[in-house]
Amino acid sequence: MQVVIGIALVLAAASVAGAGPLDTPGAMKALNCSACHGFAGQSAGDTMPILAGLWPEYFKKAIADYASGKRPSTEMEPYAKQVIQFGVDDYAVYFGGLKREPTKIAVDATAAGRGRAAAQPCVICHGPDGRGDRAKLIPDLAGQPPGYLKNQMMLFREDKRSPGDPSLKAIKELMKSLSDDTMSDLAAYYSSVR
Amino acid sequence: MKAMGRREFLRTSGIGLGVGLLGGGCATAMKGDFAPKTARRVVVVGGGWGGATAAKYVRLGDPTIEVILLEPNRQFVSCPFSNLVLSGVRTLDSITFDYSGLRRHGVRVIHEMASALDPAARRVRVGEGYLEYDRAVVAPGVEFQWELVEGLAENQDKVLHAWKAGPQTQALAEQMRAMPDGGVFVLSIPPAAYRCPPGPYERACQVAWYLKQSKPRSKLVILDANQNIISKTALFRAAWREYPNIDYRASNKVVKVDPGAREVTTDFGDKVKYDVVNLIPPQRAGTIAVQADLVGADKRWCEVNHLTFESAKAPNVHVVGDSTIGLPVPKSGNVANAMGKVAAVAIVHQLNGKQPPQLAPGNTCYSWVNDREAIAVVNTYRIENGKVVQIEQKLTPGQSAAVAQNSLGWARSIWNDVVG
Repeated sequence: MQVVIGIALVLAAASVAGAGPLDTPGAMKALNCSACHGFAGQSAGDTMPILAGLWPEYFKKAIADYASGKRPSTEMEPYAKQVIQFGVDDYAVYFGGLKREPTKIAVDATAAGRGRAAAQPCVICHGPDGRGDRAKLIPDLAGQPPGYLKNQMMLFREDKRSPGDPSLKAIKELMKSLSDDTMSDLAAYYSSVR
Repeated sequence: MKAMGRREFLRTSGIGLGVGLLGGGCATAMKGDFAPKTARRVVVVGGGWGGATAAKYVRLGDPTIEVILLEPNRQFVSCPFSNLVLSGVRTLDSITFDYSGLRRHGVRVIHEMASALDPAARRVRVGEGYLEYDRAVVAPGVEFQWELVEGLAENQDKVLHAWKAGPQTQALAEQMRAMPDGGVFVLSIPPAAYRCPPGPYERACQVAWYLKQSKPRSKLVILDANQNIISKTALFRAAWREYPNIDYRASNKVVKVDPGAREVTTDFGDKVKYDVVNLIPPQRAGTIAVQADLVGADKRWCEVNHLTFESAKAPNVHVVGDSTIGLPVPKSGNVANAMGKVAAVAIVHQLNGKQPPQLAPGNTCYSWVNDREAIAVVNTYRIENGKVVQIEQKLTPGQSAAVAQNSLGWARSIWNDVVG
């Protein structure tokens, strides 16, 4: 009995606010993110990326690029500045510690099949299943919403994502060679990878 | 806060009883303390963007806290995107949700009107009964000041506001569709502050777009009580270049409406004939907040603590959403959602004897300017000396289909955040 009481006390003490999932500083600060990116970073929408499971260093780079305007975004520039104001490390640790649930946005299996066949050039950097390369900060694409993935491809093609960044020259050249339909297929494929 | 006497509390609650019975609710079953409190309890008044969010997030923050949400409507109809129902770009069904998502989070949703608040006794009156609370969240949205426009109060069935999404949205759309080509649609915009600053101007875009497509000889006359477009000004001006059918008249406050003569009168005495009128009335905080004396010196809006959203006038009462004033934020659904979360975190901390953290809201606001393109404004905030201050406001460089697509993602996500 004493052991049981002891465990209960430890649990109670570990819970700042009362045993809910908002107990860490990052979880509370990230509540503003959930309007667009879903509770616990599990985006329900098609155009906003899932933040759960993002590598902290990748999250921090994205926030820094948005805040400086290097990665132009009307929506994200003000929010990135807010994240920095409140302490980006808390957010990065919080989202990085969550498991990414794949998007629930359904895609056409035939399109995903075409995307898989068209994905050969992507494999060089993003790996065989789009899982990325953490050391090089090449992101994990698997399970992200298809609308977000396609938008990013279009931004690369138009040189609107990090314009002029020499490290992104290769992907931008690749995107210029792709049609809108192929981008949709690739987005369907990577969003459906489990 | 002036403590409400027992007699006053009962008298005020009598009004609510009538509303409950007329609404076909089960108010008669609610007598005395109809749900005795057995645990720490939060009662939320109003299940809109702020209240529903607060209810859900208190449960997420601490599932041992009981949460009761009082909301007379059985369905949540989104005001954002309701202007697209007017133009026929979206259906009312596509912006309508139920409250089952909140129930899955353990929120007890009661579809009754809270008729009075008694902060001294920590009670909310419902029908003939009452509920006790440890903390209350008051989120009643806005109420219309019918009395400020002559002829409006007695003609609410004919002169539509469509400023609370639902049946009026559909009814105004039908009035517009029935209007003959060559007819005049008058849109009257109230003086700030009102719910959703860019909303009337987005509505103007949607009405003008519809008229341009379907009634090309018709005209939209905008009578704006304000001196200029008060939100996304340059972006709306640019969008309106595609709408020569708009006749915009700033500093034209409508003070009278006469449905018999189909005519409105401005404060200059100008009379404007209409075939369809959409009169958005002046607004104040929801009635329960006014009756509980939560409003400030202006008798319209509620001042709050910027960190916890506690009322400046009543203890243990938090006010969120459009009823608030004093923060440098617009009265938007996104802000109400953010306030609901900040208040919920504060409440969870306070009920657990902890100091609430310092959190600040954000605002992402899209406006559709035709059937496929949108514009946006984004604001973020920080805390300085206990007050919310703006970090930055950023506008889209222009209108685009890409922004419209982002707005669809925002909507799907935030609807899920509020009632999912």
